[in-house]
Amino acid sequence: MPLILKQYHLNMLTEIIIFALFAVSYNLLLGYAGLLSFGHAMFFGLGAFMTAVAIIHIPGLALWNAILIGVVTTIIAGFVIGSLLLRHKGAYFALLTLAFNALFYAVATKWHSVTGGDDGLSITRPDLSLGFTSISMASLTHFYYLTLIIVGAAIVFCWYFTHTAMGKTVLLMRENEERMKFLGYNTNISRLLLFTFTGAVAGLAGSFYTLHFQFVSISAISVDMTTAVLLMAFVGGTKTFWGPILGAFVYIILQNYLSNITDRWPLFMGFIFVSMVLFIPGGLSEVIMNIRQRLFGKKDNNGGKSAASEEV
Amino acid sequence: MSDYLHIQNIHKDFSGLKVLTGVEFKVKEKERHAVIGPNGAGKTTLFNIISGKFKPSSGAILFKGQDISGKPPHVLNRLGLSRSFQITNVFQELSVFNNILAGVRSHYGLRYHFFKKPDRDRNICERVEAIIDEVGLMDVKDQPANSLSYGKQRALEIGITLSTEPELILLDEPTAGMTREETNQAIKMINQVTAGRTLIIIEHDMEVVFSLANTISVLHYGTILVSDTPEKIRNDQRVKDAYLGEG
Repeated sequence: MPLILKQYHLNMLTEIIIFALFAVSYNLLLGYAGLLSFGHAMFFGLGAFMTAVAIIHIPGLALWNAILIGVVTTIIAGFVIGSLLLRHKGAYFALLTLAFNALFYAVATKWHSVTGGDDGLSITRPDLSLGFTSISMASLTHFYYLTLIIVGAAIVFCWYFTHTAMGKTVLLMRENEERMKFLGYNTNISRLLLFTFTGAVAGLAGSFYTLHFQFVSISAISVDMTTAVLLMAFVGGTKTFWGPILGAFVYIILQNYLSNITDRWPLFMGFIFVSMVLFIPGGLSEVIMNIRQRLFGKKDNNGGKSAASEEV
Repeated sequence: MSDYLHIQNIHKDFSGLKVLTGVEFKVKEKERHAVIGPNGAGKTTLFNIISGKFKPSSGAILFKGQDISGKPPHVLNRLGLSRSFQITNVFQELSVFNNILAGVRSHYGLRYHFFKKPDRDRNICERVEAIIDEVGLMDVKDQPANSLSYGKQRALEIGITLSTEPELILLDEPTAGMTREETNQAIKMINQVTAGRTLIIIEHDMEVVFSLANTISVLHYGTILVSDTPEKIRNDQRVKDAYLGEG
């Protein structure tokens, strides 16, 4: 594909893949577990900053290790924060995640010596060492392929995850948490595992975000970033696995297109999203499913209530 | 030898309202024990305490010599104790198969695995099908729970209760709301599926009680009035006055 695409489009495609992973990880919380988090950007931003900080402070750091440091840090952060949150659901969970996100944002803003504060951090992508040879990551095409393989694999694993024991436990808990307890499931531990997992996946996306732009600013860890991922999930639809991927695609393209023609692009983005949430709350995936249903007369045996549970 | 299950002086207050005031009875292994009593006597509260939903205000529950009072439900389930609910409490949007699968895979330790798919495990799937067959739901195996008739939902409720292979089964009014014919079928099925296990059952329907239980405890205003064989309970003057006589 890179052969026929311009660099500009390749750039955008890489960005879409990274945000698709971020949105997918977010939807595992929102669509599958029914947990509305307003703090998912803290993991995305933490992964992004840790990768940047590691590359700046450890000379000759391998690309793999830079990514690994980002992901491992988010695993630890997800576990610690998750332990504090796991007893809470609904509005309390949403508000607590928002508070934690604000805390992370404040640290990123104030801890100037490490995070660069408002100035952000610039890095140079390390080359990819494969032992016998080294691939230059200065090339956009090379980095695109790396993103496609690693981030793509992570998306595929998330899809696989929804069919595993743990993935189904999450769905069953949304359906009937009380009964799960009486069937021997520790639902607090389940929530903690899911929270840590989705945090780590968001961290991986964040790490690639830094590598892609070779720059990270406090916007990566801001509540705006949480809003962005929330919108991607909503625009695409939270009831299917692929909805948020579609959402990321539409969001990034719209953002790029609108920001090219007007400086007031956030206003138009806002209009589009408000009308989407008002008129098609099920997102684009619902529209597509409805069209498919009409064309092929496929019956929706869930009454359209929850396509995610269909996959149990 | 200590008793299999010993409910010791259980008290339960709900912010001042004394629901249970010293419940005391014993259940032998493999016994089929019914707890009867008028509405509001505290039967379901007692079940909620034994199964870990509530903590008792005071008292102890000895299960094979170990105090299990106040332990969370998932721990009790893993010790071999499983309960059904009076108001059907299943996974409404899921198929019968997936409802039973939830419990069976828990018993096989496949609760939080990040890589294994539970429906790919042959032992687990065979066990799920066997339980569905036992409770007579084979013909609706792939239908979602919310599409089943009331009687079949109740059967599914019992199937889920059985799915973690419990040795002690607590059934909370399993035939509530059923027609006479459905009730007779349910009694037969319950007798079959709980064979060789210890059963504690709450029931209003005396016919169900006398055809299932070999020991009966009468709960009256928060305490056990008497605990004995069905014949003796039938002829007990206190029970007649307090409960049976009314009907």
